[in-house]
Amino acid sequence: MSLTSNIILPILQLIVIVGLSPLVKGFINKIEARFQCRRGPSLFQPYYNLIKLLRKDAVVSETASWIFRATPYVTFVSILVIALLVPVLSSCVPLNFTGDVILIIYLFALGRFFLALSSLDTASAFGGMGGSREMMISSMAEPAMMLSVFTVSLTVGTTNLGNITSAFLNSSTLLLNPSLFLAFAALCIVIIAETGRIPIDNPFTHLELTMVHEGMVLEFSGRYLALIEWASGMKLLILLTILVNTFLPWGVASGLTFTGLIISFALYVVKIGFFAFLIAILESSFAKLRLFRIPNLLGTAFILSILAIISLYVVG
Amino acid sequence: MVEHLFIISIILYLVGALFALCLFKWQMVGNYVSFIFAAIASCLGIATAAMVLFNSSTIRLDFQLFLPVIKYNFLLDPLSSYFILAISVISFVASVYSIGYTRLYVNKRDVRFLGFTYNLFLMAMILVVSANNAFVFMIVWELMTLVSFFLVIFEHENPATRKAGLVYIVMAHIGSGLLAIAFFILLAYAGSFSFDSFRDVASQIPAVYKNIVFFLIIFGFGIKAGIFPLHLWLPMAHPAAPSNISMIMSGVMIKTAIYGFIRFYFEFLTPCPPWWGVIILIIGATSAILGILYALMERDIKTLLAYSSVENVGIILIGIGMSMIFKSYNQMALSSLAMIAGLYHLFNHAVFKCLLFGCAGNIYYSTHTKNIEELGGLIKRMQITAPLFLIGALSISAIPPLNGFISEWFIFQSLLNGFNIPSVIIKIITIICGAVVALTGALVATCFIKAFGISFLAIPRTKHAEKAKEVPVIMFISMGLLAALCVFMGLFPAKIMMIINHVNTQILGMNILKAVTSYDWLQMKIVRTNFTELSPKSATVFGLILLGITLGALFLMRPKFIRKFYETWTCGIAPEPRLEYTATAFTKPFKVVFSNLYKPRLEVNTTYSVPNFFVKSIAYVGEITPIFEKYLYNPVSNFVLRISDKARLIHAGNIHLYLAYIFITLLILIMFFR
Repeated sequence: MSLTSNIILPILQLIVIVGLSPLVKGFINKIEARFQCRRGPSLFQPYYNLIKLLRKDAVVSETASWIFRATPYVTFVSILVIALLVPVLSSCVPLNFTGDVILIIYLFALGRFFLALSSLDTASAFGGMGGSREMMISSMAEPAMMLSVFTVSLTVGTTNLGNITSAFLNSSTLLLNPSLFLAFAALCIVIIAETGRIPIDNPFTHLELTMVHEGMVLEFSGRYLALIEWASGMKLLILLTILVNTFLPWGVASGLTFTGLIISFALYVVKIGFFAFLIAILESSFAKLRLFRIPNLLGTAFILSILAIISLYVVG
Repeated sequence: MVEHLFIISIILYLVGALFALCLFKWQMVGNYVSFIFAAIASCLGIATAAMVLFNSSTIRLDFQLFLPVIKYNFLLDPLSSYFILAISVISFVASVYSIGYTRLYVNKRDVRFLGFTYNLFLMAMILVVSANNAFVFMIVWELMTLVSFFLVIFEHENPATRKAGLVYIVMAHIGSGLLAIAFFILLAYAGSFSFDSFRDVASQIPAVYKNIVFFLIIFGFGIKAGIFPLHLWLPMAHPAAPSNISMIMSGVMIKTAIYGFIRFYFEFLTPCPPWWGVIILIIGATSAILGILYALMERDIKTLLAYSSVENVGIILIGIGMSMIFKSYNQMALSSLAMIAGLYHLFNHAVFKCLLFGCAGNIYYSTHTKNIEELGGLIKRMQITAPLFLIGALSISAIPPLNGFISEWFIFQSLLNGFNIPSVIIKIITIICGAVVALTGALVATCFIKAFGISFLAIPRTKHAEKAKEVPVIMFISMGLLAALCVFMGLFPAKIMMIINHVNTQILGMNILKAVTSYDWLQMKIVRTNFTELSPKSATVFGLILLGITLGALFLMRPKFIRKFYETWTCGIAPEPRLEYTATAFTKPFKVVFSNLYKPRLEVNTTYSVPNFFVKSIAYVGEITPIFEKYLYNPVSNFVLRISDKARLIHAGNIHLYLAYIFITLLILIMFFR
């Protein structure tokens, strides 16, 4: 791979992930509004919000320490690094050598670690409540996530997302493995949990007792809030990207030709749009689960992923 | 040369111990002198270990002292040197730390014997991992147990401490007894106590005896390592000891048991059947998950760290167990990979656990409490301890780019490689262990968010925390070293793997360094397995570049960005500590989710000034049931007490009766052994 592609591709990936993530949010909001027979805010409303917030000063709690002020940057940058490790438009990820899906999972943990700390930092009870619940949900989601990723890795023989995508592109019969369907189902549940969508968490609520992620970021404002909101948007987009480019890799460019990238981009938008649409349907048709029902749902995901692995070993 | 260094370091430990005794009139001076001697001796220990490791040599030291029959054999090979390295690094840090920490006891209590026992303790650990003779091993093992017992009961006026010491010494001796039996079985085949003869006859021992020895070793060393359910003493004894001792006990003493596991299973009992490895793997996974689940519920910061040691020993054993499984299927390269995972985690754990115990010591030093519910807001009062604790917490939670992540990554890689094992059952077990490690990782993060967040962030909850001050400088210097090691071992894993590779070459006969490291197009050294590659260094570099870009872009968006400070909105009233989330509340969701394990007990006592109308006070007790103590240990100890009660009948206290006993015993012996 030439040096130019090594430089162009990461920049392209960053632009796609950073640039499109607010749009995904706007799209989901729009569709949900339509389901509720509202016109809803503009598709580009999340961009306006981010720009508005970025131009503002921030109000910080007196009790908060430097942890609170560092958190937005840590969260944002850790997600940016993940954006470089995921195959987006092309299956050759230039930073393949930097790390694999395990690094990605633990980089998500880095952001979460700091967010949960800053939720305790302001001495507000809502923050602690949000942080504690977020940690509970993500802990329960972790095994299912790891196992579903392992299922894919064992089918292909690599934990590297770029290599997984290219392996599936090269022989699409690999994708017909029944265990992958189970892993796909498990990963879907995990993504809903990790990104805090209904039925796990309601991203629109600001009612004290139901907040999870929102409770955790309650005290942030201005630039800090913008970075965190943007990071959570990117997290959703990245997880969806991992999902579509692993299980539905068709159309992902394997090289770095201009036409290939254009086709890949078009298909990528369609695929992400489809899943965003599904999320909107899901959010419109379900109510939020009770907090202590969530482990059951995530337990289901865990069982699915265990079955995926077992079927892989026993059948395959 | 190397042997001289080794002997000098041992002598320095002894001299330090003697100085502490000689200078007992000037207690503090005696202690300082002994700690300085210990620090120098541990530097020599590091040098010894480094020389042995880099030359990949084996050095034998044989002495013949006092008794003509018994030889004192010591062996410095890469395996023992790796442990000497870990012990010496931690000893050095702890010795420097102790110089500051012992000031806590000035004019408060008698510290005459602290320096003495401390130096003997360090020396005994070094000798344990270098002994090459079962007899010598048992002597120094006992010495280690005894002096650490005296260190555990250092604050003996506290009944809880005495109880912890009692539990420790009893359990440790059960362990030693089992080890002695194991050694005697091996002796029967080897014909001598020397470890060399054990190695020679490894393949000739019948399977039945091998299995017996296997289980004896699991229990014998398992008690010291603190595996579930033999962990009981660990969360009692480690918090009871002074913090500088806890650093060493949790950091390296429990690792001597891991050393024992490796020595036995990879040298004395080879070849081992696959199910041995599976048992070690399952024990490791159980200890990991249960250890962290109990740590999660802890409010005493040192007990929390002790439980987390149980968890980390579990992770190390997962690596060792995988290595054993691969070895029994003759997949040496994978076995080496798993061994790297285990040994890397061992060193990592020594470093960050020592760092965390040091920080816990700092907290105790300045607030005189170990209960995190009484702390809070320390980040503004202890501005250097806080980032050090944070680095430790991030490392132990396996957050990249710190060192914990590297070993966690290797553990995952070796578990994933379980697909190479022919048996389907074992394959599935390895993958379930992978899920357990994933869950453990997430719980560790929660546990240390709680530990750091509740004790360092927000508003102080009590007067103690409010008045906290930063500790003496000397205590940071040593811990700063550990924090730097956390970062270094996270960024440059290939360097550490090079050291572990010498151990692998010795015990597995496999050099996989070429296979697990390579260079990328940026010409940086990366680590890799058959699954993937990892370069924490370049990930960090990219992260920093992206941080720079982000900051630049933000500056362009609003060049005159300012922060305004206001108090937190708490629904209209002034923020006060009572409104903060507590540690108990933070982990409450987990208590509900895992209520089958915790069996939480809730007790609310309400007293009324006017019955049923005006509440005077409400007392709330919420505890978890210690199921292992209740259902496993208490029945056993009750049984033993009952038996000994019965046995007391023959102790009539009459000297003639005792003489009669002796006479009868003599007769019986004469009858049997004519």
